[in-house]
Amino acid sequence: MFDLEQYISEEMLHTIFSVAVIIVVCLPILFIVRGWAKRFFTKKYTPHYGMLASKLVFYSGLIVVVVTVMGQLGISLAPLLGAAGIVGVALGFASQTSVSNIISGLFLIAEQPFKVDDIITINTTTGIVMSIDVLSVKLRTFDNKFVRIPNEMIIKTEVTNLTRFPIRRFDAKVSVAYKENIGRVRELLLEVARNNEYSLSEPEPQIIFDAFGSSSINLDFRIWAPADDWLLVKNTIQEEVKAKFDEEGIEIPFPHVSFYTGSDSTALPVEVLTKTKDQNPGDD
Amino acid sequence: MQDIWGKVQLAEGEIHYFEVGDLHLWCTYSDQEVWLASAYSSELPDNISEEHPPDEVSWSRWATRNNANKIEIQPVFPDLSLVVNSEYALKVSPDTQIEIFARIPIWIRISIAENDYQLTELPTVLLSRTWFGTFTEGELCYYATTKARRTLAGIDKKPYLVSCPITISNKSATVLDFEDFCFRVERLGMYKYEEELWADETKIIFHGEESNSDVIMTGKLPQGIKSEQAVATPRKKIQKSLATRTFKRLIEDTFTLS
Repeated sequence: MFDLEQYISEEMLHTIFSVAVIIVVCLPILFIVRGWAKRFFTKKYTPHYGMLASKLVFYSGLIVVVVTVMGQLGISLAPLLGAAGIVGVALGFASQTSVSNIISGLFLIAEQPFKVDDIITINTTTGIVMSIDVLSVKLRTFDNKFVRIPNEMIIKTEVTNLTRFPIRRFDAKVSVAYKENIGRVRELLLEVARNNEYSLSEPEPQIIFDAFGSSSINLDFRIWAPADDWLLVKNTIQEEVKAKFDEEGIEIPFPHVSFYTGSDSTALPVEVLTKTKDQNPGDD
Repeated sequence: MQDIWGKVQLAEGEIHYFEVGDLHLWCTYSDQEVWLASAYSSELPDNISEEHPPDEVSWSRWATRNNANKIEIQPVFPDLSLVVNSEYALKVSPDTQIEIFARIPIWIRISIAENDYQLTELPTVLLSRTWFGTFTEGELCYYATTKARRTLAGIDKKPYLVSCPITISNKSATVLDFEDFCFRVERLGMYKYEEELWADETKIIFHGEESNSDVIMTGKLPQGIKSEQAVATPRKKIQKSLATRTFKRLIEDTFTLS
């Protein structure tokens, strides 16, 4: 007959019970404390620090729980730590990419090229930073895609943080016909900038004469806005420029070629002839 | 001058119309809701009806506790600091103190009179925003269209402007080139005196271009005004003083290069 007592002693039952209690009690507490730390630091500082605090609390707590459980199981840490060196080397070779990502993640946290909620561009991907994790950074793009970028890649690649500084400049390319008075165009553009609700008065908007184009005079219209409103400026000001130019009769030319006919800026005279009824076939 | 400050009992279907600065405001009570509509002169045709807002202006509707139909209209300072230009460039020599007056366009706050629940705040004049600081740090401000003056004598009274006395003291060893400054209004109270709105005094102590200036809310009221004449409390808790950048913006023309 199978005798359970032969295999499980009272002491072992006690140990199993202790371990179960530790896990059942400590893990929920750990999750609760992690949530509290995240909310507290997010509210008091920024979501970035909320994320860091939650990770710090969780991983520290997890180590304490694991060490306690091991103590209960009678597993000594000293030989494990010794073995960890050898195992670490083996694992290091086996999982170079993961280790590299972890180390890169630590650099990202220390260097802080961006924080949670910043808008960044990496290669061709632009999105809002959702989290900076042990292995990767998670982004949400503006068309609502989830993008996971390994930390190692971010360390090696050029990263543009679009919201690091409080104000940003939007450069609109504006083309006007050669016949237009640039002074007048400049006044109109400044008026558009003044009336745009998202643009800033200071730093002042600028109009830079960029180039004599093949069909137009090209201007750089530079407007400053708070970083949060940059997209709103981009989405509104060009439409307002078009409306203003239409209202004031300023020509925005499309690419064209003028035939020179002997006098400055005069187009080639073209006469449109209509065929009358009594015209004979073959008459031109 | 039309005095709109205070409590207004809204009757069912009856429309109250107010005009302050560029702001046009219609208020009524209908279907047990408070209805508010507002628009600015630049958005409206020349002839507008006081009886009802134009079609292009939409109503905002609030269901209120206990179907309250009495609202309170209060003047308040703008919700951001303002960059104010001086009437003319003035050089303030060391150890010199001057007094100036800035006239700031007010906002109006509409709340339910019964429980002081704030429904909305509206600027009486639409101000553009500006940046005060460097490219890497600073603060968002409004750009005041009014000028800071040495005296208000001979200046027309405007019901939508609050006059703010400011004392500027140059405690540095260098000349203060006073052309514009960042005026922090969030800790100022507002008082009504002879149909005009006034603020308590602000004192700015200049310690040099590379140092922050001390901004002190002295709480001193202009002559003839008593604290009982207060019509609005400060937006933020009154703080005796703060050290902050007030005069130099540090934005230079380097951004023209690229």
